[in-house]
Amino acid sequence: MDFDSIFLSLKLALWTIALMIPLGVWCAYRLVNAGSFKVWLEAGLALPLVLPPTVLGYYFLLGFSGKTFFGVPLVFSFTGILIASLIVNLPFAIQPIQRAFEAIDPQIREAAKVCGLSPWQAFRFIELPLIWRGILSASALTFAHTLGEFGVVLMVGGAIPGETKTASIAIYDRVQSLDSTGAGKLSLLLLGISLIAIALSYGVFSPRNGQKRSGER
Amino acid sequence: MLKLQISQTAPMPLQIQLECLPGELHALVGPSGSGKTSTLRVIAGLMQADEGLIQCADIDWFSADHAKVNVNLPTADRSCGFLFQQYALFPHLNALENIAIPLRKHYPDSIERLQLAQKWLDKLGISELSQRMPQELSGGQQQRVALARALARQPKVLLLDEPFSAIDIPTRQDLYKTLASIRKELNIPILLVTHDLKEASLLADRITVIDQGISLQTASPRVLFQKPRNSRVAQLVGINNIFRGVFSAGALSLDGSPHVFQVVDKGKIPAGQKVAWVIPQSGISVHSQIMPKTLAATVIQLSSIGQIASIQFLIKGSDVVVNWEASSAEIKRLAIQLGSEAHIEFDAQQIHIMPLRPINDPRRLQESGSAIGL
Repeated sequence: MDFDSIFLSLKLALWTIALMIPLGVWCAYRLVNAGSFKVWLEAGLALPLVLPPTVLGYYFLLGFSGKTFFGVPLVFSFTGILIASLIVNLPFAIQPIQRAFEAIDPQIREAAKVCGLSPWQAFRFIELPLIWRGILSASALTFAHTLGEFGVVLMVGGAIPGETKTASIAIYDRVQSLDSTGAGKLSLLLLGISLIAIALSYGVFSPRNGQKRSGER
Repeated sequence: MLKLQISQTAPMPLQIQLECLPGELHALVGPSGSGKTSTLRVIAGLMQADEGLIQCADIDWFSADHAKVNVNLPTADRSCGFLFQQYALFPHLNALENIAIPLRKHYPDSIERLQLAQKWLDKLGISELSQRMPQELSGGQQQRVALARALARQPKVLLLDEPFSAIDIPTRQDLYKTLASIRKELNIPILLVTHDLKEASLLADRITVIDQGISLQTASPRVLFQKPRNSRVAQLVGINNIFRGVFSAGALSLDGSPHVFQVVDKGKIPAGQKVAWVIPQSGISVHSQIMPKTLAATVIQLSSIGQIASIQFLIKGSDVVVNWEASSAEIKRLAIQLGSEAHIEFDAQQIHIMPLRPINDPRRLQESGSAIGL
């Protein structure tokens, strides 16, 4: 079993979640309150959903080529695939959080204001506890999508073991070298991890779990 | 004292002027969409008027003229308690935590906040509900928690937006009592938005009638029902006997009929002035036999709702219709039935006369449905 590629995929997925969720919350918050440009912003952020990964990967390759990030080259490096992964995951992270923001009754926001809360306090103590399901859902989707990402990672990162060779690329390699047993084992493992992530996300949204979440103590 | 003098054109036109004294319960009444709730929202800073002044306890919350906005405090800095029609309790917090939220501004210590919140729960008689989530509370209980939350930050003004509309009648009666007792204690201006006139006259010291965004009259309930400023106010406060005529030195005619009533001439209305006039239910008597000063009439409509019957009389020799309400027993005693004859007496002392003057504002013509008004 190619554990290196599994660990690399997990590392990439967890880093993506860690960076993506705060960014997703901020983007979603701004989008909910966006004015007339909202439709265009939403369309732009949803582009990664419809563009073929190879097209995205090609543009990243063009854009990243010869560039560095704090001295680290962006092409064929973990940093490069992480940045590409962040951009590819924008719609998967933003949309569930945006829906959660939109589900908050506008009167709740007004009640927070008349209770004397500042915009930051209203966000921290009222809105954030109310969008936790959206955040969990965004995390699960981002995690599962990053684990399965192939085209973009291959274009930007290639297949450097321990650096950019994620599980999905390792599966492709195994198939290319006619190691169907190895490819099968890795595929099964990825399938299991993705299934668990999505099931957790669905479980969170089950009506049975719609009970208390406390924020004020 | 709360002083309000605002005007705006969009999203809906508003021209409201009112003052509410400390300890006063001031009701805003008017039909749906008349601008009652918008008025409260403007006071709280949830909406911004184009121009005007909002002053509370001698502090300007908002001040703007057509040139610029001079003062516009954010909602969080306006010391007002706002009770929403649908409660707007924070769904992720229990009752105690909901009440503790507005205390966050002045009490950084969470234990102190929760202790104070508990005191408010005790005061409103719902101590046992402290750990309940909003979705586990009945409408009346949610309303009490929302009221406690509105009061917890010790506001300078309390704004109540149709607080009793979604609550059953027994619970409503309890809440009336609670509001009455709290009102004595607080000594702050309280504005109550309601479309229920009975509720307004039961609870309020003064009522402002609002129609199409314009405050038409502010008066005590008694004055408002007896002396509406114009026929639109009379209509809005449920007076359904509004007549037209001409006033001339104590003689008041009734348009559409040959009858003339002798009323007191206070010298305020010039001779020959066209007027609208109203008479409350208490000023109308119905007799089965002819008597001095009675007008012969025919029953043209009779509808009973429970023990109360609503009757329409057509005054003979005219096209004037008089509305009257009476108990079923009274109807039986007078042997009133559809098509039967009755004799109506107006108590001239209870007639309230409103001079009619042309209005230049075309919007007002539309709202009154008439080319003339006060």
